[in-house]
Amino acid sequence: MTGNAIIEFNHVKKQYDDNVILKDIDLEIERGKFYTLLGPSGCGKTTILNLVAGFTEATEGTITLNGKKVNDIPPNQRTVNTVFQDYALFPHMNVFENVAFGLRIKKMNKNVIKEKVAEVLKMVQLSGYEERGISEMSGGQRQRVAIARALVNEPDVLLLDEPLSALDLKLRTDMQYELRELQQRLGITFIFVTHDQEEALAMSDIIFVMKEGEIVQSGTPVDIYDEPINRYVADFIGESNIVKGTMIQDYEVSFVGHTFECVDAGMRPNEKVEVVLRPEDLVLTSVEKGKLTVQVDTQLFRGVHYEIIGYDRDGNEWMVHSTKKAKVGSEVGLYFEPEDIHVMRFGESEQEFDARLESYEEE
Amino acid sequence: MGQKKFKWSNLYLIFVFIVLYLPILYLIFYSFNEGGTMNSFTGFTWEYYQAVFADKRLISIVLNTLLVALLSSLLATIIGTLGAIGIHYVKKRQTRNTLMSFNNVLMVSPDVIIGASFLIMFTFVGFKLGFASVLLSHIAFSIPIVVLMVLPKLQEMNPSMITAARDLGANNLQVLSKIILPSITPGILAGYFMAFTYSLDDFAVTFFVTGNGFSTLSVEIYSRARQGVSLEINALSAIMFLFALILVVGYYFIQQYNMTKKQKSRERERAKVVDLL
Repeated sequence: MTGNAIIEFNHVKKQYDDNVILKDIDLEIERGKFYTLLGPSGCGKTTILNLVAGFTEATEGTITLNGKKVNDIPPNQRTVNTVFQDYALFPHMNVFENVAFGLRIKKMNKNVIKEKVAEVLKMVQLSGYEERGISEMSGGQRQRVAIARALVNEPDVLLLDEPLSALDLKLRTDMQYELRELQQRLGITFIFVTHDQEEALAMSDIIFVMKEGEIVQSGTPVDIYDEPINRYVADFIGESNIVKGTMIQDYEVSFVGHTFECVDAGMRPNEKVEVVLRPEDLVLTSVEKGKLTVQVDTQLFRGVHYEIIGYDRDGNEWMVHSTKKAKVGSEVGLYFEPEDIHVMRFGESEQEFDARLESYEEE
Repeated sequence: MGQKKFKWSNLYLIFVFIVLYLPILYLIFYSFNEGGTMNSFTGFTWEYYQAVFADKRLISIVLNTLLVALLSSLLATIIGTLGAIGIHYVKKRQTRNTLMSFNNVLMVSPDVIIGASFLIMFTFVGFKLGFASVLLSHIAFSIPIVVLMVLPKLQEMNPSMITAARDLGANNLQVLSKIILPSITPGILAGYFMAFTYSLDDFAVTFFVTGNGFSTLSVEIYSRARQGVSLEINALSAIMFLFALILVVGYYFIQQYNMTKKQKSRERERAKVVDLL
């Protein structure tokens, strides 16, 4: 528990009747960072957001905000603000009044309100739109109004509930940059909820990957992508080839009938494991030079690369992302470096996983 | 082919309007009849209109009717709106549906029964029949109308707006006054006008609960018609029809004015944005 924590969840549980939404969540959010809660719908990520905002109450456990227990404090007295998935703008008010809402509730001086609203609208590039009605704004503009309306209150934490899901791809990518830039400029803690792994990887300092009411893994985007704790995380974040293997000894793993050098250690000898190889780490080469031989089954052009699906002699499927074309039906070799192999143990908890990584990385 | 079909539909429309408006026009037409009956038109006269304006009793009844309508619809709107909000936020679906059904039963039950039951109640508790009893019963039968007009607006309202308002620091009262009420204003206004017209032309309930010395227009016209219709009634009806017509036309023009004002401000703003670019 460092002094920099702004939000702490201590054994937080949430259930409706017999329906358990969150099982024993422990988490710590530090000041000034961009956090993402990532997971499929129904995994409880929005519930965590609602608990922080105060829209629902925890069944068990304590939630602290700025060091104070906030379990019983209503949302209007918490120094957090939310950007909603459907924006939840007030259609009977114009842009100015929407943004000024929170300040008016606080009974601020009119001139101060004017100044602050103008400033925050400039920040989201909506200067000159004050008098517009909400119905006259496009989806992207509404999004910005919603962000401005939350930010103008200068919250300690900004909660974003899948705010980009209603935008088209191009706009979504632009907004990712803008949100990230905004967060870094303001230094406010952002908690972003999404089911889109690309969004999570692009924007976050820390990602919490969730599954069925539990946090499966947390870490920086690079950590989570390169060292997923289990099959679920590896599958959810990015594309991956996952095959069964055996850990012969430290730094040596065997799969699909060969033994390879790798960078993982700290497991029992001959332990059954799963091995992850990312499609972009596999390089197409000749059969002689390759570490693996596959027969190309299908090839799709994806724009940035070709997505090639091949099968090895044992019938394992291999996905390769390559900028070079392959011939469908031909045999090709696949080459990869020892550090491209990531070994996952079955049923390892996040704590055990972190401890194991530390034990051999320090050597 | 398409054109022929179009003509048929026009013809149908004209027919419907004739059926709807002919009796009123017939009535108005004979209000100018010198002959004093509605059998044959013998000559033009303003006589009955003069009689209406000279009839102090009739004028005071018109004012009474308007007063009851204004007051009852106002109070019913306040009570009904709060009631609708209450029903909307009942958590249990079954309770909510039951409350809704109770509201709807009042809507469809015949006026005669409502009037009779009010009469029984007022006499039972010893309430003096007159202005107050009429007002109370009008409020009572107007509330379900208001509830019925306001509820759909509440259902249309985006519930996350309320969450957002709470998130931005609003307490319950502020949520009500700044978010809920402005969002359902069209429903409230519609409810008010519906209640107003219902009160204005109610006969059955008023007939039961009105006492000596207090009468509304519909009851008065009924009792006069029983003695043989005087053309004064025709003249009064013509005036009221004209009054309603002016209201409708006035409403139309206000709406038009608001629309063009909105459009103009939008254009002005667009010009500003273009200038900036």
